[in-house]
Amino acid sequence: MVIIAAVLALEAWAIYVVGASPEQWRPKMTVKDEPAAHALYEMMIQTIREADSLSYNSVCSSPDYRATYYSVSLKKPGSFRVDLVNGPTTRSSTLIGDGNNLSVFWSGDRPYLWFDDQESHDKTRSNVYIRRTAPADRISIAGEVARLGVAWYGCILDPSTFHGRTDVFDPYIDGIRGRGTDKIENEKCDVIEISYMKAQRIRHLWISKRDHLPRRIKEIVRAADNKIVVEEWSDVGIGANMPAKTFAWSPPEDGRLWSAPMPDDFLPKGGQEAPDFELCTSGGGKIRLSDYRGKVVWLYLWQCGSPQCRQEWPHLQTLYEAHKDSGLVVLGLNCTDDEHILRAFLRENPVTFPIIHDGSPTARRVVLDGYANKTAAAPMNCIIDREGRIVDAWLGYDGNHQRALAALEKASLQPNASN
Amino acid sequence: MRAYELIKETFFRGSYIWIVHVAWLAIYGVYWWLFLPESPEYGRFVFIWGGLLLPLALSAGIFGDDIASGRICVVVTRPFWRGELYLYRLLGLSLQGAVHLLLAGGIATVLYAIMRKGSIDGLAPYLVASWLLFNTCAALSTSLSVVIRRTYNSLLLLVVVACGYFIVSMLTAYLGQQAGKGTFMAFVRYLWPPCELLFKFAHGDYDKFSLTVGKFSLPKSVACVVHSLMLTVAYSTVGIALLTRRQFSRARD
Repeated sequence: MVIIAAVLALEAWAIYVVGASPEQWRPKMTVKDEPAAHALYEMMIQTIREADSLSYNSVCSSPDYRATYYSVSLKKPGSFRVDLVNGPTTRSSTLIGDGNNLSVFWSGDRPYLWFDDQESHDKTRSNVYIRRTAPADRISIAGEVARLGVAWYGCILDPSTFHGRTDVFDPYIDGIRGRGTDKIENEKCDVIEISYMKAQRIRHLWISKRDHLPRRIKEIVRAADNKIVVEEWSDVGIGANMPAKTFAWSPPEDGRLWSAPMPDDFLPKGGQEAPDFELCTSGGGKIRLSDYRGKVVWLYLWQCGSPQCRQEWPHLQTLYEAHKDSGLVVLGLNCTDDEHILRAFLRENPVTFPIIHDGSPTARRVVLDGYANKTAAAPMNCIIDREGRIVDAWLGYDGNHQRALAALEKASLQPNASN
Repeated sequence: MRAYELIKETFFRGSYIWIVHVAWLAIYGVYWWLFLPESPEYGRFVFIWGGLLLPLALSAGIFGDDIASGRICVVVTRPFWRGELYLYRLLGLSLQGAVHLLLAGGIATVLYAIMRKGSIDGLAPYLVASWLLFNTCAALSTSLSVVIRRTYNSLLLLVVVACGYFIVSMLTAYLGQQAGKGTFMAFVRYLWPPCELLFKFAHGDYDKFSLTVGKFSLPKSVACVVHSLMLTVAYSTVGIALLTRRQFSRARD
């Protein structure tokens, strides 16, 4: 009888544990800073930056069973070479920087990228390469990989850290704490946990006790659901002599210089009719774009986890307050975040303009197809005039709203004029 | 001695047992040779072929053949508890599964050593998960064999498994958060052979890809293994209950 009860209790425990739903975001996940753990992180960054050369292989993977394999070589003052392969294929994409120029080329035909349609891919897939001016101190290797969309998974730790670049998320660190020690491939590691933006993004780093370089980095981004990516380092070499030919590349004779389109290129152009939509607000109501005919609308696609959005947010509110009486309406459109994260963000950063919070496929289609934001990048800005026509659309935040003010002026927004 | 004889019986039950083993092992080799998979792909392949399909092939008619031929009456008149007959036959299947999966791992290791392509890193959890799934499926199929004649236990299970996963994939793809869907999914998740849970366990969803630092997610992996073993015990208990209560006839089909 006792055995049966014990077995049933054990099974009840097992079902409870395996059945527990994935941990959703809670404010208490935010990590408090521990000086010892913070010092480990600083030491890792310092080690990477102070090295004369660094090479490693890394595998970036996620629970969806796919992986991108990187081979990274970095050398001071400004050289780098990154070869990356997606999944089990052998076709590689290579990024080479010599300190002044960035070259991107492929072994064989280039892959089908996010901006391609069949026609453009057919025209530009063979014998093409990219070359442009890119000083090492200004380039983000991870950013280039993401912009081109050549990798299934971008690296979590930007290799450009080696050339002195600061991670875009570093200003948003809440705290770093120690999580004990662990072994990765017989390498003794200290494990630390870094929380960014009130734990909206969390990274776990396994830092080798021997060379202070990472062996594994796990990133959890909490938006509408939890996104997990793991980057695993192997064959780490620091300070080794690297031949100059590693970073040298010249285009083949029959190679064609090609410039990949930018995400901005696909956004709707001035003069086009703004695609109408009806989406849900954060308060549970509905907002239809066409209801704002007669007003100048600034459609602003944003995410809580985007550093640029966080940077722009208070300025957007200021601008709205200054111009709302002259007929400006800012519509903040969020299709990605979990409701709790969004509410917590708005409690800390209150705004008076309407917020559309809709994660439905319809909302995503509005962004991806209607406004042709093919990568769903945020922030996306779209100024729409009183007749419902697009005046200007762009991605990113320029730091002073110059482009936005010019577009608003073009949309005949007269400050403090009554409507 | 009795245990040894009963376990041995499952290995030499029919010549087709050896054909199945050799064919399956050849398929693993050909798969590696043709596709040079990384360990997740190879592990997934072994998980489905070795963990799900192999026990169905090996347990086909494990009791049903004896029942159909009338031999079961001779077997159950031996002076021991009928439950032992079930347990040792299941243990025999489990041992076959263990040896088979070790050989599957060995094939991957040898081919990797020869060809130096693909990857065998992280293959061990897949082999463990495949063996746990093998046991669960073998127990379910063996229990069915007590009540279903000849080799139809495996065929029936194969059809039910295929239909079950077809329905699950349809529900996942086309239905939203409806109450009926949740109940059906919970049924599949906890009462059906734990393919999804064991696959996540093997793939590292409870370890490398868990929401916490690796070692803090150990309870989930342990719970997954415990649940799988409990299901094996539950299916076996039903099979033993059926075997000990059933009256058998000497008449041949």
